[in-house]
Amino acid sequence: MPTPHEIKQRIEAALPGARAEVEDTTGTADHFRATVTAPAFEGLSRIEQHKLVYGALEPDIGGAIHALALKTQTPSTVETP
Amino acid sequence: MSSSQFDPIPMAPTEDPAPAAAPPAPDGEANAIRDAIREAIAEHDVILFMKGTPEAPACGFSARTVAILQSLEVPFAAVDILPDPRIRQELSAISQWPTIPQLFHGGELLGGCDIVTEMYESGELEQALR
Repeated sequence: MPTPHEIKQRIEAALPGARAEVEDTTGTADHFRATVTAPAFEGLSRIEQHKLVYGALEPDIGGAIHALALKTQTPSTVETP
Repeated sequence: MSSSQFDPIPMAPTEDPAPAAAPPAPDGEANAIRDAIREAIAEHDVILFMKGTPEAPACGFSARTVAILQSLEVPFAAVDILPDPRIRQELSAISQWPTIPQLFHGGELLGGCDIVTEMYESGELEQALR
């Protein structure tokens, strides 16, 4: 069973400069919510951004990770007031 | 199941009951499913692959996506991926997207529940689908 901490580490290891906040939404270690901020998302569509995160979590998406509610953003969109 | 468009692939969602004239494939049935999915995506302007049906969604994420489409009054075809695990396998192989639901518009993957929700909240979805 993946932990939120483990998921956070996998995302941050795969995406240089990324910051991920991950929580277990059901307390059952299979449904998670993640907010990921990464410079690598710059210029990408949402689909492409989410695919980068999913790629970091292969092959557990749809397996041990039943559901991952995902929000992606770039550092510039976060810093913009 | 009130409408034929909600039947699972490969029976539907084409309104034409005749099977697609697919090229002969080495591993027959998986490719037949993949072809049927590709055809469904090409034929329907808006098509949602989901767990369950719009009348009886079997997952909260699918339910939310259906509710968004219904609130925009956008006509859409729906395919229940649950009856055969190969539908999901082949769909994800085509879309390179691991989760369900998946919403396609004009032959392109728009996103899953999160992206559709974000696009709905920002007004982009209505713009894209109208």
